[in-house]
Amino acid sequence: MSRPLEDILFGAPSPQAQTVTRVVSVIAAAVLLLLAAGIALRFHSAGQLDARFWEFFAWPTTWAFLARGLLGTLASSAMAAAIALVLGLVLLVGRLARLRLVRWPSIAVIEFLRGTPTLLLIYVCFLVLPSAGIKLSTYWMLTLPIGLSTAAVVAEVYRAGVLAVPRGQTDAARSLGLTEAQVFFLVVFPQALRYIVPALVAQLVIVVKDTTFGYVVTYGELMQNAKVLIANYHALVPVYLVVAALYCLVNYAISRASKRLGGPMH
Amino acid sequence: MGDVSRLLADYGPAFGQALFLTWKLTVVSFVPGFLLGVVVTVLRLLPLPPLRFVLTGYVEIFRNIPSVALLIFIVFALPDLNVVIDYEPSVVLTLTLVCSAFTADYLRSGINTIPGGQIEAALSLGLRPTRIISAVVLPQALRAVVQPMTSLLIALMLSTSLASQVPFPGRELTALVSKIANDSAAGMAAFAVAAAMYVATGLLIAWAGAALEKKVRILR
Repeated sequence: MSRPLEDILFGAPSPQAQTVTRVVSVIAAAVLLLLAAGIALRFHSAGQLDARFWEFFAWPTTWAFLARGLLGTLASSAMAAAIALVLGLVLLVGRLARLRLVRWPSIAVIEFLRGTPTLLLIYVCFLVLPSAGIKLSTYWMLTLPIGLSTAAVVAEVYRAGVLAVPRGQTDAARSLGLTEAQVFFLVVFPQALRYIVPALVAQLVIVVKDTTFGYVVTYGELMQNAKVLIANYHALVPVYLVVAALYCLVNYAISRASKRLGGPMH
Repeated sequence: MGDVSRLLADYGPAFGQALFLTWKLTVVSFVPGFLLGVVVTVLRLLPLPPLRFVLTGYVEIFRNIPSVALLIFIVFALPDLNVVIDYEPSVVLTLTLVCSAFTADYLRSGINTIPGGQIEAALSLGLRPTRIISAVVLPQALRAVVQPMTSLLIALMLSTSLASQVPFPGRELTALVSKIANDSAAGMAAFAVAAAMYVATGLLIAWAGAALEKKVRILR
């Protein structure tokens, strides 16, 4: 890989340009620090820096409670991801089928699940299904809709991977006498998976974000537990800040992992 | 089918308004979000380390934070800091911030597709770096990101459903479905109608995006 573009752009500055850059840098730093100070002052004048808003973060019980929420988030995310990976494969096979009677319904299901907001699907499980006599636990009311809508996206990601596998692979496998199923599951799909691992991991970030809706169905994930903490301590700003930071950390870690997996493959 | 026609007789205008509100929220958050994303991308190119550091933090935070968490923070926590923003602007602000972070991220990838030789050529022609950014880098980067921006616009359209999480004066599609499901037994029909509207909107955006992509893409 060559040098980043901005290094070429500003790679050989004249002495005069260097001075200008340095001065503007200092000014920018000063402005940003002022901004930070302004925010801190705002916290202070609103009384949000008072010890009573922060002291419970020194108690292990607070963190144990938040950790239990995070565990709930991860449990729901993991199950939703598992549903998505498996159902996504089923939808992909249907999508690629030669039989129109299989292919068209698969396309319809994919477009439907992909095109409706996850939150709407959650509301269906939460408000509509119970009136039809179907009662799910709060865990499934959250996890099932997320799994379903992610499955449709995953099916499209799979498809992109399958289309990226060179045709010669299919032809060669067929000429060796493999059945269509063997060609797909032994030759094409494993190679497709290697192309799309980064995209799949990136999708996991969206799954984790979607589990935030757990508070809608009162499933005990991080956001829901945060609401309980707030009800106990009336500390909206600190708790939401800490929870937002936790979400950012988890998702940032996943994003980084996906970028690393996206590195050289062969 | 009878359910749907009865529902449309009762709630037809409400669905029209809800669909319109969904579109409106999408547009009024996408346009400023996109422009802000372009500004952030350009500022990150400048050789100003403190600015780069802060803006990288900005992009990573708003790319990774769940939109609902951000919306709840803006609506319920900011008033404790004496910052009170009305419900509708709160939703728009949330979606704008998230959209700008993703735009900045995609544009950066678009910039990475530009061969370095072009920049060297432009420099040797005597163009100033700021002029190179506006005349060489941005036009190509923008043309390279039509596809991801289309996906982002669709995702943003679906994200307007989180407006149902705040006591909004008007109702967009998801809020309308949850209200109908609460009030009557027509929840399933309402869901079907709303889902059809979301899917149709998404397909429309995808079609427009594909047409635009075909027109402006750069074959390398």
